[in-house]
This record gives sequence, C-alpha cells and structure tokens, in this order.
Amino acid sequence: MGLFDVVYHGSDEMYFKAEAAVKETIEKIGENAPVSFGNTAYYLACIKAYTALEVTNMAQLRDALVPIRAMMTRNNRTADIFHSGIATAMAAEVIEACKYAVNPKPYGEADNPNDNKYHGHMTDAEVRELGVPLVTRDIPGFVVLIDEAPTDEQAVALIKGYQSRGIFVFLLGGIIDQAVRKGVKMGFPVRVVPVGPDIIAVSHIISLVVRAAFIFGNIQPGDYVNMNTYTMDRIFAFVNAFTPVSDITVACGAGAIAMGFPVITNETKDMNWRVPKSLIINEDVDQWIDCSLEARGIKIKVTEMDIPIACSSAFEGEIIRKGDMQLEADGSRKDCLELVRTKDVHEIEDHKITLVGKDIDEFGVGEKICMATIVEVGGVKMQPDFEPVMERKIHSFINCLEGIMHTGQRDLIRIRVSKAAFEAGFRMKHFGELLYAKIKNEYDAVVDKCQVTIYTEPEKVHELRVEANKIYDARDARVSKLTDESVDVFYTCILCQSFSPSHVCIITPERLGLCGAVSWMDAKATNQLDPNGPCQIVPKERVIDENIGIWEDVNEAVNKYSHGALEQVSLYSIMMDPMTSCGCFECICGIEPFSNGVVIVNREHTGLTPLGMSFSELASQTGGGVQTPGFMGHGRHFIPSKKFMKAEGGVQRIVWMPKALKDSVAERLNATAKELYGIDSFVDMIADETLTPEGDPEALVEFLTEKGHPALGLEPMM
Amino acid sequence: MGFTAKAQVYNAAIQETVLGVGDKALTLGGARTQPLCSFDETWKNAPAVGVEVSDIPFETEGFPVLAEYYAGCESFGDRVKRASEMEGAKFVCLHFEGADPGGENKSVEDIVALAKEAAAATDLPLVITGCKNVEKDQAIFTAVSDALSDRNPLFMSAREEDYKTIGAACAMANGHKVGAESAVDINLAKQLNVLMTQLGVAPTSIVMNLGSAAAGYGFEYVASTMDRVKAAALEQNDTMLQMPVITPVALETWSVKESIMSQAEMPEWGDKEERAVDMEVVTASACLTSGSDAVILRHPTSVKTIAAMLAALA
Amino acid sequence: MALKGLDIFKLSPKTNCKECGCPTCMAFSMKVAQGALSLDKCPHMSAEALSKLSAATEPPMKTISVGEHKLGGETVMLRHEKTLVNRNLYGIFLCANMDDAEIDKRIAESMAVDYERIGERMFVEVIYVNAPAEQSPERCAALAKKAAETGRDLVIEAADADRAKAALEASGDAAKVLAGANAANWEAFNALAAGKLVLGVKGADLSEIHDTVEKLEGAGNKNLILDVTGASIKEAFSNAMQVRRAALKGGDRTFGYPSIVNTARLARGDSHMQAALASMFTLRYGSIVVLDSMSYAEALPLYGLRQNIFTDPQKPMKVEPGVYPLNGADENSICCVTVDFALTYFVVSGELERSGVPINMFITDAGGYSVLTSWAAGKFSAGTIEKFFKDFDIDAKYKNKVLILPGKVAVLKGELEARLPNWRIVVGTTEAIQLVRFLREFK
Repeated sequence: MGLFDVVYHGSDEMYFKAEAAVKETIEKIGENAPVSFGNTAYYLACIKAYTALEVTNMAQLRDALVPIRAMMTRNNRTADIFHSGIATAMAAEVIEACKYAVNPKPYGEADNPNDNKYHGHMTDAEVRELGVPLVTRDIPGFVVLIDEAPTDEQAVALIKGYQSRGIFVFLLGGIIDQAVRKGVKMGFPVRVVPVGPDIIAVSHIISLVVRAAFIFGNIQPGDYVNMNTYTMDRIFAFVNAFTPVSDITVACGAGAIAMGFPVITNETKDMNWRVPKSLIINEDVDQWIDCSLEARGIKIKVTEMDIPIACSSAFEGEIIRKGDMQLEADGSRKDCLELVRTKDVHEIEDHKITLVGKDIDEFGVGEKICMATIVEVGGVKMQPDFEPVMERKIHSFINCLEGIMHTGQRDLIRIRVSKAAFEAGFRMKHFGELLYAKIKNEYDAVVDKCQVTIYTEPEKVHELRVEANKIYDARDARVSKLTDESVDVFYTCILCQSFSPSHVCIITPERLGLCGAVSWMDAKATNQLDPNGPCQIVPKERVIDENIGIWEDVNEAVNKYSHGALEQVSLYSIMMDPMTSCGCFECICGIEPFSNGVVIVNREHTGLTPLGMSFSELASQTGGGVQTPGFMGHGRHFIPSKKFMKAEGGVQRIVWMPKALKDSVAERLNATAKELYGIDSFVDMIADETLTPEGDPEALVEFLTEKGHPALGLEPMM
Repeated sequence: MGFTAKAQVYNAAIQETVLGVGDKALTLGGARTQPLCSFDETWKNAPAVGVEVSDIPFETEGFPVLAEYYAGCESFGDRVKRASEMEGAKFVCLHFEGADPGGENKSVEDIVALAKEAAAATDLPLVITGCKNVEKDQAIFTAVSDALSDRNPLFMSAREEDYKTIGAACAMANGHKVGAESAVDINLAKQLNVLMTQLGVAPTSIVMNLGSAAAGYGFEYVASTMDRVKAAALEQNDTMLQMPVITPVALETWSVKESIMSQAEMPEWGDKEERAVDMEVVTASACLTSGSDAVILRHPTSVKTIAAMLAALA
Repeated sequence: MALKGLDIFKLSPKTNCKECGCPTCMAFSMKVAQGALSLDKCPHMSAEALSKLSAATEPPMKTISVGEHKLGGETVMLRHEKTLVNRNLYGIFLCANMDDAEIDKRIAESMAVDYERIGERMFVEVIYVNAPAEQSPERCAALAKKAAETGRDLVIEAADADRAKAALEASGDAAKVLAGANAANWEAFNALAAGKLVLGVKGADLSEIHDTVEKLEGAGNKNLILDVTGASIKEAFSNAMQVRRAALKGGDRTFGYPSIVNTARLARGDSHMQAALASMFTLRYGSIVVLDSMSYAEALPLYGLRQNIFTDPQKPMKVEPGVYPLNGADENSICCVTVDFALTYFVVSGELERSGVPINMFITDAGGYSVLTSWAAGKFSAGTIEKFFKDFDIDAKYKNKVLILPGKVAVLKGELEARLPNWRIVVGTTEAIQLVRFLREFK
C-alpha cells in the first residue's frame, strides 16, 4: 500500500469513528446537549480554525462533520494528503468533544488535570502559559511523542533528553505507561504532559497550536493558508512516532507536516513518500533528538556551564603571578595554539569535549606545557570568514575565568592556571566546556554544533602548530587579497552614532572603519550575527564612478542611516564628498596646498602639522559627520591601501606624517608605492616632525623638492 | 514687505496609538508637524499628561502640598482615584515599585490585586510601570495584562532583555500596548521596534520610551535623540520610528539632588517642594518641546501647570 | 550655505604671512569657515576675494553682543545637526508699575542665585526694566538706576523716547539693550541706541516686526534683537519658531537676529508656568528669556537644562578632575575611580549619594569621554589612574586602601594591582544603577 492510500485509509478510519461517536452521543444525550471542552473562548478550536464554525451543541457538531469530510479530498496530489491530514485531526476533535459532552472530566476526577494520568484538553490559560515562552523562544519548541518506544529506557532517555534541552514534551499512547513505569515526573509544571491514551487525543495538541495562532498571531478563523504559514513559521513543534505506526497516526502525521511540523519515525513500512526535512525515517531512536532538532531548525541555548570556578568580566584583568601558578602554556617557549575551524555539521558531535594528552593534575606544579585548543564549529550559516572573529574572542572568554589568565592569540598565546583554580577542581575539559557554552551562546546565529578538542601531547601539538600556521597564513593571504572589487557588498557601521549622530562609516575590504577597529570581515560577521545591528549590508550594484568610489547604493545607504543628513559619499576621494567622520578616527589627513599633497596626523601626535594645525584642531574640522572637502578621518591601516585617495592619485600624495606613524606603516606603504608607481623607498620622501620644523609649509616644500617627491609634479588638487 | 509664515507640514505622521477604552480612551500621536507646532497644523491629538501613583506611598517629608493632596487616602485604590482627579490628568501611571525583589518584594498575586483595585478606582487609561527588575517585571506585566485584559493598558517598559515576553504576553496575547524602552539612542530605539515587530507585535501597539533624564543630568542626549527620532519619522518617513513617545518624567526628576535635599541641608536653595515641582515642570516642558507625546508627572501643581501649558499651545 | 574652508583658502593670498595670527593661510581659512575668525583679520585679502566671500561668509543669523555675552550666530535648528553656538540668557522682569517692595524682593531673590556648576557661573545675566507710559520718566529712571546697581546687564524697554532717555541715562553703562522700538517710534529709538546699544524691536505681529527691521537695516542698524513675546503663549512659541526657521531655513536675513521672550507677560504671576515656558524657549529659540524672578527652585533645573543643551555634541561636558568626597567621606573611607565625562559624574555620584555610604570619588582626566570610550582611546587606563594618584598624592592622603573600579574596565585590575601595590583593587558594577546595592553589601 502506498503512503497516499495509508493516509486516505487512516483519515477515513478517523472520520468513521467520529461519525459513529456523534451518532452514539446524540442517542445518549440528545442533539441539543451542549458541547464544550471548558475554559476556552475558542469553542472546538481545530474546527473553528479550519472551518470558522463555532460549535456549541451536538447538532452543530454533527453538522461540522460535513465540511470535515469535504476536506478529505482524493486527487492523489500532495495537497490531498495535507488536507486529509488536517481533517483527520478535526475528526479526532469531534470524537474528543463527544467524550467531554458526556462527561466533563473524561480523563479523571482530579480538579487539577496534572493529577490525572491523562491531561486531555488544555485550557486557554495553559495555552497562554506555554504560548508566551514559545513565542519568545524561551521554550525552543515542543515534541509530540506517539506510542511505545522500543524500550522503557529509550523512552525515558528521549523524554529527559528533550526536557534537559528545554523542549516541551507531549506524550500520547503507550509511552505514557513507559514513563509511569520508570517513575518520570509529569505535568505542565515540569513540561512533560501525558495528553491521552491514544492518537485521538492528538486533537488537544492541535487545538493548543491553533489557539496559540489565534492569540499570538491574530490568525482569523477559517484562514487555512495563513494558519499553516503561521504554525510553520512560528510554532516550533515536531513529532516522534514509534513503530508500529497505525494508519490513523500516519494520517495525523500528514496533518502535522501540513502545519510545518516534521515527523521522525522508525517505521519503514509503506513509507515510500519523501518530503525532505518533513518525513524522516531514522531507525536509531537514540539519534532522534539531534535529528529532530535539526529537522525543525531548533537551536538550544546553553545556559549553564559545568565549571568549578566563577566566570565573569570582573576577573578579566586578573594577573596570575609565577608563585601562584599551577602550570603555564606559553607560546613563546613551547608549542601552543588556538584554532577555530569550520566543519560539516554532520561531522561534529555537539558538545563533545576531548582531551588528548595529560590533564592538569598529571603535570608538575609550575610546569610549562604544550597546549592546542581546537574548536570545531558547524552550521548552515557558518562561514570560514567568521573563524578568526570567533578565535579572537577566545581570549576574552578564557580571561573571564577566575584564576585563569590568558593573553595573545593564534600560536602566541599564554595561559596560566592558578593553584587556586586547580584546587577548586579546574581541569582541561573545563576550557572545552567554557568555549562550547560561550560560542554556542554568542554565535548562535551561525553555529549549530560545536566540539572542542584540547591537546597537551607535545608531538601532536607540534604537528598541529605546523598545520595551523598554514591556516593562519592562508587567512592572512585571503585578507590581503580581498579587494573592494572582489566582493559583492560593503557594510555600514553606525556604532558611533550615539555621539556623532549623522555619521555613517562605509566599510569595504580595503577601507576599514575609521576607528581602525572594524574590518570588513568584522562587519560581515556582525551583520550575520545581529542582522538588525549596526552593520548593514550595502550592495554595490549601481556604480556611478568606480574610480572615485561612488555607488548609488552607497549613497542610498548613507542617506538612510544618517537619517537624511548626508546625500553623497565618494569612497576614494578626499576632495569630493569625502566620507564623514564620527570623532573616533585614528588619523586625519588634510590637504597641504603648497606641496600639492596631503599630510596625515595620528591622534597620539600632539605637535603642529605643516598646515599650522594640530590633530585636535583638525579633528574639530572633520568630526561630527560633516563633510569637509580636503579633510578626512581614517584608520591607520587605510594609509597603505591602494584605495587611499585613489581619485586624487593615491598614496603618492602623502607628503608628511609624524615619525611614529610613518614607521608603523612604512613597510606596507613602500610596497604599495612600489606596486602602483614603481617608486622605491617612498617613505623616505615623506617628511616628519624630525625632518622639517613644526607648522612650516615652506620648509616642507623645500624638503620635498630635495627628495624629488612625486606629489610636487602631480596635477593641482584644487 | 511684511512676513508670511509658511506652515511646515510633513507628508508623514506620527502613528496614532490608543490607550484605554471607552469615553476616556486616549489617542497619542497623529501629528504631521514638529513638536507642539499647532500653528502649522491643528493638533489631531493633544500631547497628554498622566499622573504617577506608586504602590508605596510617596515620601511626603517637605512636600506639604503633595501630602495634603493625598490626605485621607487609605489604600492604593484611594490614591489612584485621587490621582485621576487631578486637573489636566489624562491617564494614570501605576508604578509598582514595591515589586522590587531588592525592596518590598511584593508577590505577583499582590500586584495583580493592587492593579485590579486601581482599575476599579478610575476609568482613565492605565499605564503600568514595573520595578526595573527584568524578571519580576515580566512576571507582573504578564499577570497584570491578563487581569486587566479589558482595559487596554500600556506596559512600561519592554527592553532589549525582556521585550519578547512582554511583547508576547501583553501586546500579542491581549492586544495591549507596550512601551519600547531604549537608552537615549535612535538606533537602539529603532532596533527594538524592528525586533518587536518581527516578534509579531503590531506597530500600533508600540509606544516609545526613548529614555529620559532630569534637566541638567545629560538632558542633551534626551533632546537630541528625540529631535532625531522625530526628524526620521517625519522627514524620512521612517515607519519604525513613527511610534508616539511617552516619557516618565517623574521617575527621573524626583530622585535627583534638587528634589530630595531638605531645606535644612541646603538652606540657600529654599523650599524643597518648589524645587521638586520646578524640576518636574522644567523637565516635562523640555520633553514635550522635544517631541514627547505624553509625559508622566507626580505633583498636582506640575500636572496642572503642564496641562495648562498644553492647553494654551493648542 | 556656509562656505567650506577650502573655498576660502582658494581666494586667500596663500602667503602664510601669519599676520592674522595663524601659522598658515589654510589654518586661517579653516577657522573662518568654522566661524572662529572673521575674514577682516586678514589684511591681504584682495577686494575681489572679499566681495566674493563676505556675502557667503555672512552668517544667516547675526551674532549680537549683549555686554560680555554673545547671542545668536546659530547655523542649525537643532544641536545634533552640528552644534548650537550661543546659549540663551535668563533675565528677570522689573516694571515701574510695580511697588518697590515687589521690586526689591525680586532683586534680592534673584541676586542670591549665584553658583558654579561644571565650571560655569550660574546667575541672572539680565535685568529687564520696563518703563511704561503710566509712570513718570523720573520713576522709570529711578528703577533703572536701582537695577543698574546690581551690576547685571540691563534691557530697557520704554514706552516712548522720553522715558527711554531717562532710564538709559540713569542706568549708565549697565544698559545694553534698548527694547520697545516699533513701527511708530523706530527712528527716535534708533537715534537713542546710536551704535552703542542693541536695539530691541517689537510689533503687533511678525509682519510688523519684519517691516521695522527692514527700515532699521535700511538706516544702517544691524545690531538688533527681536521681541517675539506676542499676545499669548501660542503666539510666542509660533513667533520664536517662525523667526528662527525664516532665518536659517528660509534664507530671510531680516529675521537673522536673536530674540527676547518675556514669560512674565505670558503667564502673569504664575512662577511654575513661567518655568515651564522658560524651559520651552530655552530649547526653542529664545535668546533672552525673561521671568518674573529667579529663585533657586527655577534656577537649578533651568540652568542645568541650558548647560546641557548648549554643549557641542562633539565635545562632551567635562567635570574637573579631583577627589569628590561624598556622604561625609574622609581619608578612612573607601574610594572609587571613574572618568571626567559630566554625565558619568552625575549618574555615578547620584547613585553613590543614594547609597549613603561615605566614599571618595576620584575623577580622572579622561578627556571628557565615557568609561568605555576613554578606555578604548587609552585615556582611562592603569597608567592614567596611577598618574592621578601621583598628581593628587592619593596614596599618602587616603588610608582606607580600597579602590573600586568601574565594572566595564575590570580588565585594568591586574595592571592596577601592580602599579598601586598598597591598594586593594575591587571590581565594581557595570552599571551605575547597581551601585547602591553593591555598596550597601560591600564589606
């Protein structure tokens, strides 16, 4: 029998049961007898949701059978299965309604339904109680476990596994007896609810779902399409059904899938119909939790860390002195490294922490050890570009541990573990626990799974270090090869708007934020992790002038994020609509008219520039998100960029920099000048405060003439 | 040659949001002009003044007028009723200070009972303010929203940490209004509105609390944030910044030095109550001038003065 | 639209002669563009350059001097657009119609208000003396004389030239503004002001004021201030808004003058309403804001508000570095350290005071930035704190060696411990609001 037939058969079976139940009940209590589940303003919620009918008595219930039957269409298209599936749930609600019509407490006499073996109908208050955390995702989702698990132990493992991940659990049928046998605590407060003895009681769960959609989504009764869209987008539910799966259960499962809830089962018979990510056959029940969460796209927040010492920013500045040290991993003496790597999700076992080599207690006191920390992450949205961003954060994560000190990154780290931390029980695996929890929490937008391996075995660490250095090199090479032309988008950064209200940074690979702190990679990661945050995507499709750096998209972005204060920005020009500055720029460059060039001064330099103005005087001209042609704030790293005032001829315009600044950019600046103009040792042609007197443009021109500085021969800038 | 004024009316408007129900329901927002500029276009809805009442009776030492105003009140309900009778009051703000776990730590049930008592005492729209403890506020807002489901109150405030629960429990489940609180930063304000909307809260259920400060205490940030928010809303037609703005002025002004130092401590400063009133009045006026659509005040003299000023500007 | 520095530089002599006081022509040009220097400081500008530039560099709103104070000169409507330049002045209202007791009371109360707040002297800068037609010129003169004795700057409004003359003579150098010029008397008043006083223009409506200003400008007087008070609160607010909009947005230079708003006339006898209105006109375009009287109750919030609003958004308000003992703290009390950003100071000191715990608050020179910003800029570090300890001789003076560090810079703890070995460095809270509980529970 094909799956279509199974569903049709199952839905027929449910319908006939419903028809029979209505007939029998009317015979018993009459057609005017009231029908209600009690404590709900939504009548029979499933029926109301999909037909808009508000059933209050048995006659209306009987009439409701007509539209239910009509939904069980048979055209052998996928839609027929979905419609029939939902109609099956409605038919189930009819049967349950008959039970309640005859006896308002069909599942037990206790006033508190949590005291009965089966909970049955859920009140509006319960819907709200569960609905709020479902909307806020404090409860990441709920599972419906149907029928008997292969063993009682597996039943308990599944229930507890879901419970420990914050997933709300509904139980139907035989698994309830298994839970009772194993003494599992159940009821709404512990988030495990035994709903009813068989699949028919599933209607109470569907009723909860549709009421949540009414209450929180303002979905209108009878709106089939929007109801299913809402449940798909907003209700993170899924079904686990154990073999043997009855036809009725399969039909209900089809309804679940129609509502966007995937079904995971170990039934193989007649399951010849595949809906990717919706109907999943997995015979290994022990894998169901991971498999289900992935299918429904649920990520679990890690809230607790199993670490014997405190973790707080208050310990960030703690220094561990030699005498207090239990051991030390010092990258300058021994092989040490930290590395974050992206792996395929299926190759990662979430929360696996492995130690290869000796643990802290196996080393001598004060010993210098080799240590490699490899963090492997995976996720649908994970990109290798985020690796360095996360890797840089390892420092502040570990440094927040009480009694642990961390400095540096990559293979130049130093970690000290204090005696106090060791005595408190701190061991290597706790580094793993910490990094796992921090990375899962902070980067939950991109990391679905994470595992950590710590190596202290010297030979292995040495091998890893060689390997890691190749990766670091490749990363650096990638960053240096990233050009404005090689990417499709730029980013905004408006972190500084709190004090410079109309400033917007446009961050490109060759032009990092003017504060020097936000690179294009950082901006990209920030955007992915916080899509509504300060870094927004700026496409660069509509180019106006690529040489000067004008894009229509950039102008639109600048206009939008400056709230109308700015209309145009040229990314590569300081003369024509230069990029604005907030005030936290590392450097300012300004036009020096007598030499036809520009001077650059960094924040740390207090003396006068050849313009006769100091950094702070120039800063007052350039800050505040105002465009001042001829003057621009920028980051230190922008100086040797090929895009540095490209429109005006590039770095060959630089005629003066403070010596300290000049030295710090010399190597890269020389390389750029060599590549662009074939000039050797260009930096030597640039004046500084030790070569010409302060605030003296004539002496500057003299110096430049003597050196044959190229700016003197360029076209006038103004 | 004379002078002809040009009315400055924008094509965009501040969104209208209704608080409360029935005859006393209050609509905030609707303006298409710069704040208070009724000469450009007649106000659709006047800015409103509300009165703060706390579950813990106000300190009255040095405040004889305030003490006299509430004289004889024996219960929270009495005080709410009296507050709602202030000249110019358009809504009442119930401030549940006593819920603070670091203070009286009143239970959720107690707070719900107080909220019901207050609701019975006035038919003015209600604004509910918590104790600033994120977890406790979530609990009391959720419970009070259920208890006052037919009063369409405004809950202040939903912050970045708790907007989901308050948005879901108050705005989505009960159709109530939620104040989105951000700390004097236009981008954070907008981000919170975007997040709330993405959660499923209707924009018309959101009122903004952009953060406040007493005059002299960094008010430039308040003023500039409001100036920018209003400019973005009206000039840029930024729908995520068009929500009306409510400013809990009293919460700020009654805890600054100028309002709490006794005359004995600062003899040259003169009467303490005068100081507290002027601090409240000056701050409220500055907020309204910068773009608040509603202010929450404590002292009857302040309420009367600011209401009269708004009436004169209408 | 104001000119950019480079446009001015292009027309400058480019000789770097330094006669203007700037080291280079570029520096000079940038300062002119900023409004910090006027074009005529350069003796070598060509006539052509001057004619090209003077129209363009003429600001949309003139800067008018009242005594030592400057008014007007604004280029933007709102401070976030760039910055507001000249703060408004507050004045009190005295009228010859009042009985002497009332006059003396107002003077006494207002003169008592004189204090410092974040480096700024807070006092009533202006006394507005009204000489109405009902009173004799002698009485008006006597009032002006009494007002002049306070040493404050006077605005004299007179009903006619006789009274104006009498009051001006009696007030001597104290008179800075002659108000009350209108469509009828402008010629006589203009003659009285005669280049040494600012002339205040009033009228039945804005149109009439506009006409009178045009006539005065035609007669060569551009040293004016506009009384926008009007007949009602609504009209006053409308006038103040319209005048500023016309000047800055509408390019109407005729209205490019500062304003007077007299709340004493808008809300007679209602001091709270006057405070509310003064607040409104501080934000929206009153240049001299007049109240009946200025008590501390009014002054504290109004001066604070003004100090806030007229800060440059780029340059945060700073407090003086030093030790601020709170709640009766002495050398045996615990200490805490933070930055000199005024807002940080106010928020933190407020919470510290609320805690009731005696504590010495150390304010270090951090360039006026907030804790995280100054930390990021290297202006708040273990090194700067150590320097503060040296500059103020803290280690010798304070015996309780507990120093609480802002939670946001917990990272400084280790280095500080190394630099200040006698001190126990405690990481405090990340937010000021948590301080009260933190201190009360701190042992």
